[in-house]
Amino acid sequence: MREPLVHFLVAGAAIFALFAWRGEPVDPSSRTIIVDQVVQAQIVQRFEQTLGRVPTDAELDQQIEQFVRDEVLYREALRLGLDQDDIVVRRRLATKMDLAASAAAEAAVPSEEVLRDWYSENISRYASAERVDFDQIYFGKLAGAEEALRLLRDSADWEALGDPISLPSSLVRSADQDIRDRFGTEFTENLKQMEQGSDWQGPIPSGFGWHLVRVTRRQTSEASDFDDVRSQVENDWRSSNIAERKETAYELLRAAYRVEVRK
Amino acid sequence: MFGRLSGAIFVSAAVMFAAGCGSMETIDEVQRGDGEGAIELAEFPDRPYWGDTHLHTDNSVDAFGFGVRLGPEEALRFASGEEVTATTGLDAQLARPLDFLVIADHSDGLGATRRLYDAPRLGVQAMGDDTLLRWYDMMHESPQQSQLAISELITAAANGSLPEALSDPERQEENTRDIWTTQLDILDRYNKPGEFTALAGFEWTLMPGGNNLHRVVMFRDGSERTSQTLPFPGLSTTAEQLWDYMAAYAENTGGRALAIPHNSNLSNGLMFEMTLPDGSPMTAEYAAKRAAAEPVIEATQIKGDSESHPFLSPNDEMAGFGDAGWDFGNLPMTAETTPEMYGGNYAREALKRGLSLEAQLGVNPYAFGMIGSTDSHTALATGDENNFWGKHTGNEQANEDRAMRPQNLGTRQGRFGWHYLAGGYAAAWARGNTRAEIFDAFARREVYATTGPRMSVRVFGGFDFLEDDWNDDWVRSGYTRGVPMGGELIDAGLAPRFMISALKDPDGANLDRAQIIKGWIDSSGGLQEQVYDVVWSDMEDRVRAAGKVPAVGDTVDRAAATYANTIGAAELRTVWTDPDYEPGQRAFYYVRVIEIPTPRWTLFDAVRFGITLSEDALANSVAQERAYTSPIWLNPGPEAGL
Repeated sequence: MREPLVHFLVAGAAIFALFAWRGEPVDPSSRTIIVDQVVQAQIVQRFEQTLGRVPTDAELDQQIEQFVRDEVLYREALRLGLDQDDIVVRRRLATKMDLAASAAAEAAVPSEEVLRDWYSENISRYASAERVDFDQIYFGKLAGAEEALRLLRDSADWEALGDPISLPSSLVRSADQDIRDRFGTEFTENLKQMEQGSDWQGPIPSGFGWHLVRVTRRQTSEASDFDDVRSQVENDWRSSNIAERKETAYELLRAAYRVEVRK
Repeated sequence: MFGRLSGAIFVSAAVMFAAGCGSMETIDEVQRGDGEGAIELAEFPDRPYWGDTHLHTDNSVDAFGFGVRLGPEEALRFASGEEVTATTGLDAQLARPLDFLVIADHSDGLGATRRLYDAPRLGVQAMGDDTLLRWYDMMHESPQQSQLAISELITAAANGSLPEALSDPERQEENTRDIWTTQLDILDRYNKPGEFTALAGFEWTLMPGGNNLHRVVMFRDGSERTSQTLPFPGLSTTAEQLWDYMAAYAENTGGRALAIPHNSNLSNGLMFEMTLPDGSPMTAEYAAKRAAAEPVIEATQIKGDSESHPFLSPNDEMAGFGDAGWDFGNLPMTAETTPEMYGGNYAREALKRGLSLEAQLGVNPYAFGMIGSTDSHTALATGDENNFWGKHTGNEQANEDRAMRPQNLGTRQGRFGWHYLAGGYAAAWARGNTRAEIFDAFARREVYATTGPRMSVRVFGGFDFLEDDWNDDWVRSGYTRGVPMGGELIDAGLAPRFMISALKDPDGANLDRAQIIKGWIDSSGGLQEQVYDVVWSDMEDRVRAAGKVPAVGDTVDRAAATYANTIGAAELRTVWTDPDYEPGQRAFYYVRVIEIPTPRWTLFDAVRFGITLSEDALANSVAQERAYTSPIWLNPGPEAGL
């Protein structure tokens, strides 16, 4: 049952039957408005849904007053036929229908082929970010960094070197944005140029000063397999096709009409 | 008969709509959720995450009228670092992406101006409202006329005289539901735990007589919960009803929401009153409700800064950042602001008032943390001085003389383009970047405000911190032997100590100084405040004289809109002990970090576009940007009684 029109007709028939069974709804030509227990309960329920508590007596009175006002104006409007030939009402109903119809089209299931094509065309969306493990030592001045590099070549203890600063000395599996947020753009761009290995490199500059860096691991960006991200692909495909699907839904309904535009 | 049949069609359409939603289950559950368990978390919050909790898109009634044609999708793309084309046609991109975003469109008339604009003229005519029809025509005439129409609309909202078609929540509900559902879907799509957090929210826009009582409401949850509610209207409701609405949401869905008041500077004393809104004495019940719903306020944004005012803090030589132009009237300038109103307008005074109310009631309604945000109406979340896209589309960068142009909010009385700030950011100390982690940081007030730069600021309060702690894992010490910003200390008969670290924005300016701002109740019940310079750059050379730290200097080249980091420090840190502590004293302490002087957006504009700033505007075109942390409170122990 993937045919929206069928859904629509079945549901419509069911509701129509329900209305018929419940008897005549409010007659717009009647000048009696009955705010009975049922109506009041609906008003209270609606209030409660929004505010999480029952209305006070004063608030209930106010809500009932509002209901009566709307009902009077609504009936008078119907009596005057204001719903006919009103371009706003017409448009509003059309919009409502359009929305409902396109929601039904959500039920459409794209073929495997369509999704695979979409995946290939948008492969960069399904690639994980490049991630880096690195250690760094901070220096306020360039000379300090250069001196330390000499010491490190004589296998000094790296953790005892550097000037104090509240930056992490090691990061693991860090993505570009995380590194940028912590160390700034200049450092991040420099880090990209560095080779993986056990040697200390640099010094490279940052907004804070100078850094000696050791890149211990670099995981390059890799696209996920289609099967692992199938639901995400389908989701992306759907959201990028909303307009198209609205049109399809309309075409379905439109096909049931014969239209003559007379000159 | 006709009525009944159309009723049947309506309902069947609704049934079908629901069925349609059911088929969307293929969407990634992780993105749809609150992010709990989605990623590996750090043991302690290990870095601030940067965000904007206050962004408007074309669904906001005023933003659309001001001309914006970018929606939530473009807003999320921009905030997460992609390039988008701004409404006025120029390419816009952040130099550094944000980590999280709350889209906060006005709940009142959500999408209404767009619908009005899109409607056929005959249809608007048929509605029989002359004002509406006039606005409709103005919106279609030209961008300038459209902006004028929206200024009138804001004033009408302030005066309670909006046309019914725009103000009646019942009429709006259905449209709101459509927009809300669509928006929640888009948010989920861009929400990527560990990379980028997209949070649902809205702005609640209560404005009695034009006095700004606006709040941004933000949700912790994904669409399966947030779709069970609708944004709560601001017009003709009260703050207490808003809190009830939030509590009902939590009760019904198991989710959570919090509200963030903003622009108290434009509230004419109403945001932080000593009384209830009707003037009767504050009650413990009201105070508790407020405290539970509103753990954080937005202290700085495009429409000025609300941290402090020189009138209230005459001994604070750095008070009053971003007050110019905003401190003489309410939002639409329909009423003047007089000095006796300032107490209810500014955050520091409110924090002090909170102490006093707590001493009386046992509950502090104003125990809030602080964040910054933009309140941008361009769908572009940027608080960067060199990348300012204007308060709204009418003053995007395409309008090169925007700094000197009259603006929509009270220009006749002297508010101009240059009074607008570039906007701030919210920093959240979290263990990872997910909805739950970011929201929870707000809920426990472990957040801070900046006026734009991304400096990392930490403060821990305790009783046994020592300078030596810096040599070890001091963050662990902070969390295990004390409390972070937003926390509370219980008086132990010892002077509290604060471990303070301020690290500059790695892509920005050096730091001038870090200050502790203390507020307390003295022994006779009076409210006091004191600003302490606790650590500053080049302390050996900049020796305190006559109680003051000498100015840091100024490297800004006015002709080129540049500055040099040849003054100031990369990091400032210290352990500070309150020298004026008295046992049993009720107090709060927050940190203010000051950068060296840098160009404001107005100076960047002057240089880029070759415009001439007026004398006033030029004098205002260089500023010391700053950060305000959430306070740490020192409360008497339970045995001290109330």
